[in-house]
Amino acid sequence: MNAVFYFAAVAAGLALVGLLFWAVRGASQRKSFDHSGGLDNVPSPVNNMAQIRQSMDPADFEFAKAKGGRELPARLRRERRRVTLLYLAAIRKDFQHSLRVARIIAVLSPEVSGSQEYERIRLAMIFRWRLQMIKIRLLLGLIPQPQLTALWQMAASMAMQMEETMAKLGERAALAAELALQSEKQ
Amino acid sequence: MLELPTLTLATWGLATALTLFLLLRIFLLRLYRTYPLFTLYLGTNLLQTIIGIYLYQTYGFRTVYGYRMAWTTQAFVVIARGLAAAEICYRILGKFKGVWALAIRLLIACAGIVLISTLYFGIRSYKLAVITLDMSLEASIATWIVGLLVFARYYDVAMERETGMVGLGLGLLSCCKLLNDLVLEKYVQAYLNSWNYVSSAAFVGILLLWNWALRRPVTCAVPELLLNSAQVYQLLIPQVNRKLSALNQQLSQFWRAESSKP
Repeated sequence: MNAVFYFAAVAAGLALVGLLFWAVRGASQRKSFDHSGGLDNVPSPVNNMAQIRQSMDPADFEFAKAKGGRELPARLRRERRRVTLLYLAAIRKDFQHSLRVARIIAVLSPEVSGSQEYERIRLAMIFRWRLQMIKIRLLLGLIPQPQLTALWQMAASMAMQMEETMAKLGERAALAAELALQSEKQ
Repeated sequence: MLELPTLTLATWGLATALTLFLLLRIFLLRLYRTYPLFTLYLGTNLLQTIIGIYLYQTYGFRTVYGYRMAWTTQAFVVIARGLAAAEICYRILGKFKGVWALAIRLLIACAGIVLISTLYFGIRSYKLAVITLDMSLEASIATWIVGLLVFARYYDVAMERETGMVGLGLGLLSCCKLLNDLVLEKYVQAYLNSWNYVSSAAFVGILLLWNWALRRPVTCAVPELLLNSAQVYQLLIPQVNRKLSALNQQLSQFWRAESSKP
């Protein structure tokens, strides 16, 4: 056996054992089979956008500098960076919730498109990686406020759009059930 | 049988006793209706032991005929284990029709690639070809089980504890056998005796896990699902993906904007 392939095979074998325990551990943590929680609790938009926007406004820092001296803007910047990180975490949470809803829809569907599923996995991985990079940049002192706003708007609109579509589907299902009942009575 | 080392005989005897105990329990609790192929696998294993005892008593432990026959029976055992793995896969994902259709295609493809690549790169000599074949089959079963459990984790699919444990046991057994075969392949002379002990010890450990997991009837059965219409998926999922894509685009733009700063 080729030496490179041999070590690759040993590494793959050990990786399989690790993956096996990781996957089983995840499965054992799922206590309930109820998927309804994810559908009922569609993410709500973060309501503090105006405050976040204002907290990152350069004019606000200038005003603080003019009124409170040099130290005040620095302290404000630190505190507001912490708030922005919390805000980013909230966006991530909303995003993950939407992903979870999408997974539930896939699980409960009789037909699943491989390309759509693959695309979602790929996008989610890219999102996570980029979000980590943004966090690092924030911690290094860069505050990308306009981009964060756009990020939030997109996450929120996705959640709202899904909520609307789900509501429409619910209405259609109820209508279909009613029609079926009426035709049975006739 | 006198040719066999005492430790080999002891682990062999223990494995046989545990298999018998597990089979007895499966029949008493009527679990063979839930896991027919897993029961078949255990039965095949027991049959292999009976054939092995007969062969080694008649022809001796180190004869060519005994060696050939032992490996021939091993092929049936590995195939039966593959079927049991497929059964566990179906029990976990089978009710989710869409995900099952996707998973089965992907898992067959992955297991097939692993099987072919292990065979292609693994064969060094025809003397060790049977070990390579065994290794390839074990690798594909392990890939199959791990892939299944990763799928279940990704889609948040709940599974019966017993089924999960049987799946874990099958996956672990294949991984252990794969790693054991890999070491044997490299150090064939020095490792030959230890290979047997490690293989038997791993099997005994897995049998203990299965005996513990199947100590009572499958109590918490996963309820049957009422699936949505295909329209729901077709309507919602492309929307989600488009939004995710736009979100990533936004992040990408931000990344470029930040990078271009002096």
